[in-house]
Amino acid sequence: MINFEYIKPNSIKAAVKAHTKEKSASFIAGGTNLVDLMKKGVESPTRLIDINGLPLKQISSDNEGIRIGALSLNSDLAEHETVKEKYPLLSMALLAGASPQLRNMATVGGNILQRTRCLYFYDATLPCNKRNPGSGCAAIGGYNRMHAIFGTSNQCIAVHPSDMCVALSALDASVTLNGAKTNRTLTLQQFLRLPGDEPELDNQLQKGELITEVSVPSNDFNKYHYVKIRDRASYAFALVSVAVAMQTNGKTIQKIQLAMGGVAHQPWRLTAVEKMLAGKQMNRENFEIAATLAMEGARGFGQNNFKIKMGKAAVLEALLKAAGI
Amino acid sequence: MDTSQHNNSRRNFLKKTTALATLAIAGQVIAKAGEKDEQIAALFEKMPLQLEVNGKPYQLSVEPRTSLLDFLRETLKLTGTKKGCDHGQCGACTVHVDGRRINACLSLAIMNNGKKITTIEGIAKGNQLHPMQEAFIKHDGFQCGYCTPGQIMSAIACVKEGNAGSPEQIRECMSGNICRCGAYPNIVDAIMDVKKGGQVI
Amino acid sequence: MGQPTFYIENNFEDERVDGIDKVTGKATYSAEHDIENMAYAVFVCSTIPKGAISNMQVGAAKNAPGVLDIIHHLNCPVVPGYNPYFKDPNKKGYEWRGLKVFNNNLVYSYGQPIALVVADTLERAVYAASLVKATYVKEAFSTNFQEDRTKESRLKKSGDYKRGEADFYKTAAYKIEAEYDIPIETHNPMELHATTAVWNGENQLTVYDKSQGPKGTQRDLANNFGLEEKNIRVVTEFVGGAFGSALRSWPHVTAAVIAAKKTKRPVKLMITREQMFTTVGYRPEAWQKIGISASEDGTLSGITHHAVSNTSSYEDFGEGIVNVSQFLYGCPNVNTSYRLLPLDLNTPTWMRGPGPATGCFALESALDELSYVLKMDPIELRLRNDVSVHPVNKLPWTTRFLKECYALGKKGIGWQNRPTEPGSLKENGMLVGYGMAVGVFGAGRGQAAAKGILKADGTFVMQSAVSDMGPGTATAMVNIGAELMGLAKQKVFFELGDTNFPPGPTQGGSGSTSAIGTAINAVCAALQENLKELAIAHIPAFKYAKPADITYKNGKLSLATGDSIQYTEVISKADKPLIEVVKDAARATAEAQKYAMNSFSAHFVKLHVHPITGVISIKHIVSVADCGKIIAINPARSQMVGGVVGGIGMALTEETVVDHRYGKYMNANFADYHVPVNADAPPMDIYFINEPDHIISPTGAKGIGEIALVGVAPAIANAVYNATGKRIRRLPITPDKLVG
Repeated sequence: MINFEYIKPNSIKAAVKAHTKEKSASFIAGGTNLVDLMKKGVESPTRLIDINGLPLKQISSDNEGIRIGALSLNSDLAEHETVKEKYPLLSMALLAGASPQLRNMATVGGNILQRTRCLYFYDATLPCNKRNPGSGCAAIGGYNRMHAIFGTSNQCIAVHPSDMCVALSALDASVTLNGAKTNRTLTLQQFLRLPGDEPELDNQLQKGELITEVSVPSNDFNKYHYVKIRDRASYAFALVSVAVAMQTNGKTIQKIQLAMGGVAHQPWRLTAVEKMLAGKQMNRENFEIAATLAMEGARGFGQNNFKIKMGKAAVLEALLKAAGI
Repeated sequence: MDTSQHNNSRRNFLKKTTALATLAIAGQVIAKAGEKDEQIAALFEKMPLQLEVNGKPYQLSVEPRTSLLDFLRETLKLTGTKKGCDHGQCGACTVHVDGRRINACLSLAIMNNGKKITTIEGIAKGNQLHPMQEAFIKHDGFQCGYCTPGQIMSAIACVKEGNAGSPEQIRECMSGNICRCGAYPNIVDAIMDVKKGGQVI
Repeated sequence: MGQPTFYIENNFEDERVDGIDKVTGKATYSAEHDIENMAYAVFVCSTIPKGAISNMQVGAAKNAPGVLDIIHHLNCPVVPGYNPYFKDPNKKGYEWRGLKVFNNNLVYSYGQPIALVVADTLERAVYAASLVKATYVKEAFSTNFQEDRTKESRLKKSGDYKRGEADFYKTAAYKIEAEYDIPIETHNPMELHATTAVWNGENQLTVYDKSQGPKGTQRDLANNFGLEEKNIRVVTEFVGGAFGSALRSWPHVTAAVIAAKKTKRPVKLMITREQMFTTVGYRPEAWQKIGISASEDGTLSGITHHAVSNTSSYEDFGEGIVNVSQFLYGCPNVNTSYRLLPLDLNTPTWMRGPGPATGCFALESALDELSYVLKMDPIELRLRNDVSVHPVNKLPWTTRFLKECYALGKKGIGWQNRPTEPGSLKENGMLVGYGMAVGVFGAGRGQAAAKGILKADGTFVMQSAVSDMGPGTATAMVNIGAELMGLAKQKVFFELGDTNFPPGPTQGGSGSTSAIGTAINAVCAALQENLKELAIAHIPAFKYAKPADITYKNGKLSLATGDSIQYTEVISKADKPLIEVVKDAARATAEAQKYAMNSFSAHFVKLHVHPITGVISIKHIVSVADCGKIIAINPARSQMVGGVVGGIGMALTEETVVDHRYGKYMNANFADYHVPVNADAPPMDIYFINEPDHIISPTGAKGIGEIALVGVAPAIANAVYNATGKRIRRLPITPDKLVG
C-alpha cells in the first residue's frame, strides 16, 4: 500500500474542503471496505480524510420518520430501539450482513458506498470497466456466479453487495449529501445507479460530496421479512436476498413494498409486483404469480442463471414468511 | 481458576508473563527507533499516535498505512492477535476498541488515536485467567490455537452484547470468527458455560 | 440427542497441556519469534499461468524506502539442491521436488513466486513488492480439468487393478453407473504459512517454520543448501493448523533462507491468504466414475471405479482415490484405474483424508444409490458386504469394528425415522433426510525416536522433534508417559517442535500417536530398567537383587521382600540430577506382513432442506470412530468434531474456482472460498469404539485425523437425496443445486 497523507478534520466543511483540494482523496469512516481495497491495490488515495470526528452519529425519529447520521455504526443501528420497533426490516437486513466485528466498524454511509464484490473488480491484474474504464468486463463470460441478472449493461454486470440497502430501498429511504456547494437529498434508489455506459460510477456522489444522513419515512407496515440465500449459514454475501414490507387488513394487502439484493447494481425494487399485489389476498397462489412476475426481464450470464429460479424462490419465501403462511 | 492448577503450562505461562511485563519498556525503545527511522526516510511521513493497549499508554509514531493489526504484532510485539486473512474475512485479529469487538486488520492504527485497545494479552488478571479463557480450556474450544485469541475476544463481546442467549444465537454471533480446525461446538459450549456462570466479564 | 457412550464431558484430566499458552496468546507461531534486526520479505507472484519472464522491472521497487534487496531469477544465489548431485555419490538419490523458486525465468502457474522483496518494515516490503513488474512471453496453457480429462493423450497412467472380471457390473440386473466430481479444495489453515530464517554463520542455520515435520524441513534444507543436518535447527513450536499443507517445504521456505543469506539479516516471510492458494498445495480436482452391482439380496457382484485427478505440469501428485473400492467391502469382481491430468496450475498435495476422502465420496454415494435400486436399507447393504479379511492382500485386519460403528450411529441419529421414499418426510415444513457413509484410512506405525529425562525433582520430560498442528500430540504423549511411569500428569511434560530433539515423524496420515507413543513406550521401559540398575548399584537394600526381581510401579521400585524406594531417591542417591535415554521405535513393517491395518468411521447425518429455496440446514451429526484406544479424550473428540466440520465444508461450501481464460484462482480469499462458519456446525455426538489395537502400537491407538473427515461428504449428499430425491454428484452442494 502506498503511503498517504492522513488528516482528521472536525467539521463537515473542513472535510469537504480537504477532499475537494486533493485530486486523489478518500473519506474514511469504518474503513472495512476502503482499507481492504487499498490493500488489494484497487484504490490508492494519496489523502485519507478520517471523518470519524464529524458530528454525524445521531439517530433521531419523529412522526415523519427516522433520521440516521451517516456515521452511525451498522451494529448500533440494528440494535436501536426505534429501529427494532418501527423499522424491524432494517434491523433484520443489517444483522444478516457481514459479521458482528465488521458491523461494529462499518457505518451507514459506508455501507451504502461499499463497492461491488465482483472478483474481477477486486483483482487489479484483470480487466474491469468499473476499476479501469475501457478495459472490458471479465465477469461476462467468466466466473459470474455472484453477478447481476437485472439492469446489467454490456459494460458491467456487478451487483451492489449490501443487505442494509435492500431494506432501505424497500422502505423508500433517502440520502442527504453535502458538498462544497451542494446540499441535496435523493432517494436511495436514485442515488445508487445502474452501470450503463459508466460502470465506474456506483452512485450519484460528486467530488467532495459526503453522505451526511439517511432518512426513512414512517410507515404503517405490519408485516415484513428479509430472506437471504447464501453459500453458507452466515458471514457470506447474498446470492439473492429479498426485503418485503406489507400493510395488511385481515388477509388483504393494502400496500406492499419489495426490493431484491444480489441481483443488480443497485437494490432491485419490484414495483410491478407491488402493483400486482396491492389489494390482493395474501395466499400462496397470488404469491406464486408475484414471484414469477418478479423475475420478468431477468437475464443470466451463465454461471448465475440459477439466480432466476432462486430469485423467484426467495420472493415467494419472503412473501409467505411475511404473511405468516 | 488459578493457573497453578495448570502446572503443565504454568512455568511457560509465568515465563512469558514476565516477558510481557517488560513490554512497556520495549515500547519506548521502539518509539525512539521509530523517530530515527523517520529522519532517515524523509519521504515517509510518520504520525504521532497515542493510545492505550491493555491498560498501558503508548506514545509512538506510525505510518498512516500501518494497520492496527500489524502495529500490535510487529511494533508492540503483541503477537497474540493473529493474522489469518488480513482482509476482514476470518476474525483471527479480533480485538476490543473502546470495549467493542472489531477486526484489527481493517483498522488503521492511526485511526485509533486516543482509544483503548484490549487484546488477548490484556484480559487475564495476572495469573488469573479470564473466565472465557478458562472455559475455552475446559471445553477444548480450540485445536491449533491460532484463531483462539480472536475467538475469545469475540466470545467475551458476544456475552457482553447480550448475544449469548442460546446456542443458536451464539452460533450466529460467533460466525465472524473462522476456526478451520472446526472447534465450533466446543466454542459454543464454552460461551454458554460463561454465560450461565454469570461471572463479571 | 443421543448420549455419547464414551465422551466424558468436561474431562479436566485431558485439558490440553498447551491450553494456557493458546488462550493467553503466548503460544508462539512461526512468524512470531522476536528476532533482532529482522527484515520482512514479500513475494511478487506471476500474473500469467505459463510462459517465460522476458524482463523484470525492479528499479522503482529498489529505490523505494527501506528496501534491502529484491531477489529473482536473474540475481538469485546458487541453491545447491537445484542441480542434482551428479558428482557426489553420497547424495545420489536426492532429487529436487517441486518448484525451484527463482531458478529460471519459467512460469508454470498463475501466482507462482517470481521475486522476493526484502525491506526493513512489512509496510515497505508490501509497497515495494507492488512496484515490481514483469513482462512475459506467454504460452498456450490449460487449467480446464473437465475439458481435458476426456483427452486420453493428456492423461498419465497411475496404476490399474483388477480381480475377477472387469466391468462385471454392466451385465448385472441390479446396478448403478454414475460419475462424481469434486472441485479443487484448499487446506486454508488459519495460520498463514510463514518461515523466519536466521543464518548464525556461514553454515549454521536456524529456521522457524510452519511445518508438520521439523525433521523433514531440516532434511529438505540440508539437501537444498548443501548443509549438514546438524548445522540446521528447525523450530516449529506451535503450528496453526495445516491439514496437509505443511507436509513439505514449499517455495517460501527456500526463498526465506535465500533472502536471509543474501541480505545477511534474519528474514521473515509470511505468505498472504491468496498465496495460500497458489503456493502450498490443495486437494486436486477429481472426476470419478463408478459402476456397481449386486445380486437381489444385496451381495456385491462387481465394482468398477475409474478416477482422474489433476496434477501440475512440473510435478506428479497422485493419491489413493480408487483404493477404497478395492478393499472396503467384499466383492469378487473389481477393477479400478487411476490417471493423472497435468494442468498449468501449482502442484496439489495431501489434504486431510487424502485419497479416501475423494474416493469415499464416490463409492459411498454409489452404494447409497444402489441401496435405492435394491430397495434395501443402506446400512443393511453395507452389513451384507462386510469382510474381516482384506480382499486385496488377503490378510486379516488387526481390528475392524465397522458393524459396531453402524449400530451406535444408527441409534444415535434415530435411523428408524429415515423415510425409505426420498422427499417424503417433512418436519416443520422442511424436507427431512437421513444419510450415512463410511470413512476409512490406512493405519500403521512409522518410525520415531524420543528422549526421556527423568529428574530427581520428580518431573519427567519427554522430547521428540515432531510438531503438533492441533490434534493435541503433546497432551496425548503426556497421558501415555504419565500412565507408563505411574506419575501425576502435572509432573510430566512433552517437548516438541525442535530438531534438537530426537527425530520424530512428520505429522500426517493419522500416525503421530501410534509412532511417537511407541517410542515413548520404549523410553519408559528403558528408564525403568535404568532405575533398577541404579537401585542395585546405589541402594543398599537392592544391592543383591537382579533387575528382574525389582518391580516398578507408580514411581516406586519394590522388591518381593517389601523393600521399596521412590525413584527420585534412587536418582539422588546415585548422585545424579537426572537420568535420560533416547529410544527409537521401528516402523510396523513385520506386522504389516501379517495384518491389514485401517481406522474406520461411520458418519450419520440428519438434515433439513427448505422446500422452496433449497437451503440445507444440518440438524444433527453422529460420528462413530473405530480408531483404537483413545489416549486423550478431549483432543480426540475435538479431532472428530473438526473433521466433521471439514467434511461439511467439502460437502456444502468449499470450491476453489479457476477462470480458465486466465488460468487463475478467482476466489483465493476467505470471503469467496467458503469454509464453514460457526452457524454451519450442527450439534454433534461423537462415539468411540475405544478398542485398543495393540498390534499396530503398544499404545493401542490407530489414528483419528483422517477418518474424522473421510465419509462425511457422502453421508451429507446421501441425506440430501433422502430429503429431496435429488442426487448431487458434484460437490459442493450449494443452494443453487437444489433450488426449484
